[in-house]
Amino acid sequence: MLNAQLKPDDIKTLTLGNGMKFLVLPDNSIPNANMYLYFKVGSRNEYTGITGLSHFFEHMMFNGAKKYGPKLLDKIEEFNGGANNAYTTENVTVYTDWFPASKLELLFDIESDRIANLAFDSVMIESEREVVHSEWRTDLENSPFEPLSQAVVSAAFIQHPYHWPVIGYESDIKNWKRSDLQQYFKTYYAPNNCVVVITGNVTVDEVKNLAEKYMEPIPAQPAAAPVHIIEPQQMGERRVMVQKDVATPYLLITYHVPATKDSDHYALDVLNAVLAAGNSSRLYAALVDKKQLATNVFIDLPLSFDPFEFNIYVQCSDSVKATDAEEAVYEELDKIKKEGITEAELQKVKNQKLMDFYTQIETIDGKSGDIGDYEVFYGDYKKMFDAPAEYNKVTVDDVKRVANQYFKKSNRTVGILQSNVED
Amino acid sequence: MLKYIQYIFFTVAVIACCTQANAQNAAKYQLPQYTKFQLANGLTVYLMEKHTVPVISVAAIIPAGAIYDGSNAGLASLTANCLICGTKDYTKKQIEETFDFAGADYDTYGTKEFAGLTATLAVKDEDKLLPVIKEMLVDPVFNDSDFIKEKKRTLVNLDQAKESPGQVIGLYWDKFFYGDHVYGNIVTGTVSSVAPLASTDLRNFYQTYYAPQASAITLVGDFNTAEMKKKITQLFNDWKKTTAVITLPAAPTYNVTSAKVLLVNKDDARETTLLIGNKGVARNNLDYISLQVINTIFGGRFTSWLNEELRVKSGLTYGAGSYFDYKRNGGAFLISTHTANATTAPTLEKIMQVITQLQTQPIDDTTLTSAKNYMIGLFPPRFQGSSQLAGLLTSMFWYGYDESYINNFEANVNAVTASKANEIIQKYFPKENLQFVLIGKSTDIKSIAAKYGTVTEVQIKDDIGKGY
Repeated sequence: MLNAQLKPDDIKTLTLGNGMKFLVLPDNSIPNANMYLYFKVGSRNEYTGITGLSHFFEHMMFNGAKKYGPKLLDKIEEFNGGANNAYTTENVTVYTDWFPASKLELLFDIESDRIANLAFDSVMIESEREVVHSEWRTDLENSPFEPLSQAVVSAAFIQHPYHWPVIGYESDIKNWKRSDLQQYFKTYYAPNNCVVVITGNVTVDEVKNLAEKYMEPIPAQPAAAPVHIIEPQQMGERRVMVQKDVATPYLLITYHVPATKDSDHYALDVLNAVLAAGNSSRLYAALVDKKQLATNVFIDLPLSFDPFEFNIYVQCSDSVKATDAEEAVYEELDKIKKEGITEAELQKVKNQKLMDFYTQIETIDGKSGDIGDYEVFYGDYKKMFDAPAEYNKVTVDDVKRVANQYFKKSNRTVGILQSNVED
Repeated sequence: MLKYIQYIFFTVAVIACCTQANAQNAAKYQLPQYTKFQLANGLTVYLMEKHTVPVISVAAIIPAGAIYDGSNAGLASLTANCLICGTKDYTKKQIEETFDFAGADYDTYGTKEFAGLTATLAVKDEDKLLPVIKEMLVDPVFNDSDFIKEKKRTLVNLDQAKESPGQVIGLYWDKFFYGDHVYGNIVTGTVSSVAPLASTDLRNFYQTYYAPQASAITLVGDFNTAEMKKKITQLFNDWKKTTAVITLPAAPTYNVTSAKVLLVNKDDARETTLLIGNKGVARNNLDYISLQVINTIFGGRFTSWLNEELRVKSGLTYGAGSYFDYKRNGGAFLISTHTANATTAPTLEKIMQVITQLQTQPIDDTTLTSAKNYMIGLFPPRFQGSSQLAGLLTSMFWYGYDESYINNFEANVNAVTASKANEIIQKYFPKENLQFVLIGKSTDIKSIAAKYGTVTEVQIKDDIGKGY
C-alpha cells in the first residue's frame, strides 16, 4: 500500500549560470519548508596550521555579512519563525534552515547575503574562537571515544588530511588568522561549489525565480585545487594507546576502506549491519550477550569523498582486558571471512535498509538530508531511490569477498583508551 | 561538529519543551483525526491513520516509573529494560531476531514517572510483530539468565556514565533538589541499590504497576482503523486488570529556603558542567504556554538571552539554555551550561546577571513577537513522523490534555500579552534561593561555588545521592 510514495520525478533540478545547483521537492503536508546548503569543503581541504578552519568557518558564517550584520542573521530568522544549524565533517560543510514556507524569500535573502558578502569582524572572530575552544573542550570532556578516535585516525592516515580531527588542533584553534578565513571564503564558498536542497510547501517556479534573483548574480570562482594526496597503502598493523581516567577500557579498530562512490560501498554497509545493527547482530550477540566482554558495540562507516575508514567501537565490560575484547572481534570477522554470512542475514539487512528509507522520507527534513547526501556523496540524488535495489544486488559472496579484502591485519589501526597505560 | 546543541541534561525529554510555528500566511496546523477507546480491562487505545509510508509506529505508556522504586533505586528502569528478557512464548533471542529481521526498531525504557515501549515496523510485518509487542507488555517472564546479564551491564554502565558529566548531572540535581520526595529517586539507580536486585523483584514490581487500566497504547500509521481496532482488542483483551490502586505522589514541598550548592568533584575535569534552578510547575499548569513563551526568550533558543550573553557575546561556552522539567505533579526550572575551569566565575556571574535582567527589564513587544513566531513557525515539523505522533498521543494521555493543545496552539501563543508575560515572570521564574549543581574540579572552583550558597562536596566516584 505505497500510497503517497515518493518518486524520483517529484524532485526537480535546476542549475544556475554560476554553477549553483538546486534540488527541489515540493511537499505540502505541512506549511513549512527547509533549505540545506551543502558546500564541498571540510577538514580534508585544510593543511597543518589551519586545521579546524572549515569548522571555524562554519561558525563564522553566522557572524555577519553585508545586509545582515553581526548577530542579525539568527535574530531575524528566529523572529520570522525559523531556526537554523550547521555541521562540518571531513568532507562537507552543511547549513540547515527550517522555516515557515511563506518565508522562503527571506531565506534566499539571508543565504545569498552571506555567500556573497561575508564580513570578518575582528571582535566576532575572537569571541567565536572561544566558542569553538569550548566545543573542543566539551567533546573531550564528555566522550572518551573522542580522544581515542582522534589518536586512531591520526595513526591510520599519515599523509592524507583525514589525519587531523575536524575540530582541529588546539594550537591551530588559537592561531587562525582573519586572512585565513578570507582566503577560505574566496576559494570554497563559491556558488559553483554548492548544492542546495529545498523540501516543503514551495513550488519549483517560486524557487527558480528566487534563485535567479538572489543567487545567480554571485560570481562563480575558479574550481579549488583538488585534494591530490592519496594515502599510501598501509603496510602493517598500527597500534595506539591513550590514557584517560575511565571505569573500563575503550577500544577502536579501524580499517581503510574505499570512498562512498566505490562499488564495494554497499557490501561494506551490509557488513556494518550484519556485525552491529541490533542485538541479534554478530558482534552484539558475541561480545555483549554471550561472552559479556563489552557493554556496547557499534560501527560507523562515514560517507566520504576519498578512501576513509570502517570503525568498530567497543566499550569493554568490567574487569575485561581490551585485548580480550579485541580478539573476540577478530574471531567474528574471521568467521565471516571463512564462512561468509547467511542468506537470512542478508535478507535482514535488506529489510533494515528499506525501513530506514521509509522512516527517512516520512519528514521533510529526512527527505532533504537524503537528497543532499546522495547527490553529494553518491554523485546523484536519484541513487537514493536505487539504494534498495543496490542492497538487493549484494550477494553472500560479495560480502565474503570484501571482508577478506579489507579486514586484514596489515590494514588495521587499533586504539585502546584506559586508565593505566604504564604497565 | 555542530554549530549548536541545545544543552538539555535531563535524560527524560518528553514532548514538552520549547518550540515554534508560523507567523503569517500558512494554513493553521491541525492534528490529524484519531480514534480513542478503552478495552474492558481499562487499557486506553489511540489509533491514527497515516498513509504516507507503509509503516506503523507503536508507543505504550505505563504508570511504572522510578517514583515507585521504594528503597530499590533503579528497579523501575531495570524492569522496563528487561521486558525483552523473555516472554511466555518468545525467548529474548527470538524477540531480538524477529524485530531485527523485519528491520523494525523497538525500545523499552523507564523514566521518573512512567515506563514506556516504542516500536516502528513495516505494515507487512504487523501480524508477526504486534503479538510480540503484546507479550512484552502482558506476559514478560524476566528470565533469570537474561536478567543477570542485563543487571551486570547496568552496573558497569552506571560507572561509565560518570565519564560524561552531561549524562549524569540531572540525576545529581533531582536528588539534591527533591531530597526524599519520590521525584528525587534516581532513575538509573546506583551501584549499591542495583546490585542486590533479583528477578523476583522485577516480577513483583511488574505485577503491581503494569496495570492496563492506567496505561495507554498508541498506533499511528498505514492501517485501517476498524481492522486495527479489532486486532488490538483481540491482542490486549487478556491483559489482566490489577487490583492495587496506583496513586500519584503528593506534590513536592520544595523546601528551598536558602541557596545551596552541590559540588561534585571530578579531579580530571577540564570544564565545569552546571545546573542552576528552583521549583517549576506541573505539565497541566494553566500557564503552560505562557511559560514556554518566556522560556523561549530566556533560554529556549539560540538567540535566547542566556545563549546570547554566555556564548554569542562572550564566548564563555558552546551553549547555554534553560527549560522546565514538567512532571504530573510538580517540576523544576533549570538553567544549564558548561565552561572551562578557569571561566567558571565569570560564567556564574553572567548567569546571575541574566536572571536579574529577566526580573527587572520588561519584555518588549519585538522580543515577545519574535518568541511567539518562533514557537508557532517551528511547531508543525514536530509532528510529521508516525513515531512523533505516537509519542504525542501517549503524552496527551499521560499529562491529561487533548488535541486542543495542538489545534489552538497558535491562538494560545498569540494570546500572550506583554503584561501577561511580565506577570508570568514574577510568578514563576526563580530569583532567590537558587540551587546549584556543579560537576568539576573542586580545587579550582570550590571557593567560587561558596559565593553562591552553602557548599556540600561529594566525589563523582561515589554513588549518586551519597553524602547529601
